[in-house]
Amino acid sequence: MSPQIALYDPIFRAYFVIVLISLAAGGTILGVLRFVLRKETASMFRTYWSWILMAGIGLVVVFLGRIPTIVGVTVLAIFAFKEFARASGLYRDWWMAGAVYVGIVTVGIASLISHPRGEEPGSGWYGFFVAVPVFAIALILLIPILRNRARGELQRMSLAIVGFIYMGWMFGHLGFLANATNAYGFVCFIIFATAFCDVAAFTFGKTFGRHPLRSEISPNKTWEGALGAFSVAMILPWLLRFSFPFFGPRELVLAGLIVGIGGQLGDLSISVIKRDIGTKDMAATIPGHGGILDRIDSLIYAAPLFMHMAGYYHPLK
Amino acid sequence: MKKWRYDSARDLDQPPIDRLRRFPREPDMLVYGLRSICALIIRGLLRIYNRFEIIGHENLRTNRSLVIVANHCSHLDTLCLLAALPLRKLHRAFPVAASDYFFQRVPRLWAAAVLVNALPFGRHRRTRKSLTICSELLANPGTILIIFPEGTRSTTGEINEFKSGIGALVAGKDVAVVPCFIDGSFRAWPKGKRLPRPRRVRLIIGQPRNYWTRSADKVELTTIANELRDAVIALGEGGTRSPNALLKGIRLRRLT
Repeated sequence: MSPQIALYDPIFRAYFVIVLISLAAGGTILGVLRFVLRKETASMFRTYWSWILMAGIGLVVVFLGRIPTIVGVTVLAIFAFKEFARASGLYRDWWMAGAVYVGIVTVGIASLISHPRGEEPGSGWYGFFVAVPVFAIALILLIPILRNRARGELQRMSLAIVGFIYMGWMFGHLGFLANATNAYGFVCFIIFATAFCDVAAFTFGKTFGRHPLRSEISPNKTWEGALGAFSVAMILPWLLRFSFPFFGPRELVLAGLIVGIGGQLGDLSISVIKRDIGTKDMAATIPGHGGILDRIDSLIYAAPLFMHMAGYYHPLK
Repeated sequence: MKKWRYDSARDLDQPPIDRLRRFPREPDMLVYGLRSICALIIRGLLRIYNRFEIIGHENLRTNRSLVIVANHCSHLDTLCLLAALPLRKLHRAFPVAASDYFFQRVPRLWAAAVLVNALPFGRHRRTRKSLTICSELLANPGTILIIFPEGTRSTTGEINEFKSGIGALVAGKDVAVVPCFIDGSFRAWPKGKRLPRPRRVRLIIGQPRNYWTRSADKVELTTIANELRDAVIALGEGGTRSPNALLKGIRLRRLT
């Protein structure tokens, strides 16, 4: 991955066009809703402007190459964890929060460097990357011992471990995907597909939604929206087959399942956390979307599953 | 199993810009780290570019609440006073900044809130509420308020009249008031210039004073303000000529 390669890479160019078309189509639909059907669309437009901004930043970062992609994912993970820490109160404990930040940065470094012995540079150190949680959790468990404290530490340790594993390590897989030979196909597909399914779930839910999916977790999600997004997710890998020409039907179906089910499970698992804490959004960072964590929640769940599925059938490098 | 108690941040539902405007701000590890690193860089730059030196450093050695009062003719003044504080006290030091100037447009707001840890002060309206926030802060020990009682940067380099609000803040309270004189900041970076120039800047820190026996009536407040102004002026006249103090300042010159 580098700007020179991206410029002539058919997959990246195709995704560039696809993202532009999707944004244009979304804008047209919103325009029709607003000016022809006279519907109330102010909040949807706010969400839409944020989509344009995020798509622009995402395309630029992926275009710039492997290192900017991994650094970008790490920065995003840091801010996602910061939102989680602020919502759960963990941010008051600097030692724990600091340990998690160290862990997240280590994940980024493990994706950037390559194995010290052998292997060509720029391939990521897979063994260390997969082992980072061992060291991070050891560090987190060490902190109460160093500070000679026990009261309330279980809650802090648990929150720190969830925060590191979920927002740091699982999301870090997206950065590690940038090391794959087929990096553009994998990274662009998983980001685009989860985002597309989020929008599909919202649209289907708004249009046909009747039956609540999980009333105790997220009152606004419906079975109709979930099934609509699932069917879209099952079709998407076949439509975007050019991103991974070596995938057979088995892998395409699995990719659809991961995006369709995994993405929505990610959404729901963040909702569980929010519901227990008692907040509606994790933050108000992105206008119309909520926090960073509310935006990337489905990607956090789907990206590692997708990476390991793809890596199992076709070695990443 | 008993329910866990989550201690969420109080500004969770506010967009980032509004979070910067609100005071008191929530503690934020990343912001504190960035602020400390930038403070170190600024200290180094001041030492090299403006040959910055501090005289009377020992007058700031206390763990009680402090009000630092100084003359004001440049943005460098705030940076110089912050550079005189130990790094670990940086996040408890609040330069009192005009909310109509520093807390409106985003780049300046970001610099004021993140880098300098400024306290938004209503110069023209809600002044009384701002003063209440200041005195509440002073009530917990270890708080440092940096105040320029002239209310704005001097355009001539002369020291203007001090506003009586400073009197209202310190009269009848057991807080140390430290008058300071900043020498050379007007030549280095006057109001209206885009960038500072490499002129020598010197900070002279005076003896701490105390106004807790004074009442808070109107005449008395003006007297306190005038007394403080005289103290600052006296530092400017006396401190620059004392070679002994100068030597001490050079010896105590430390970055952190």
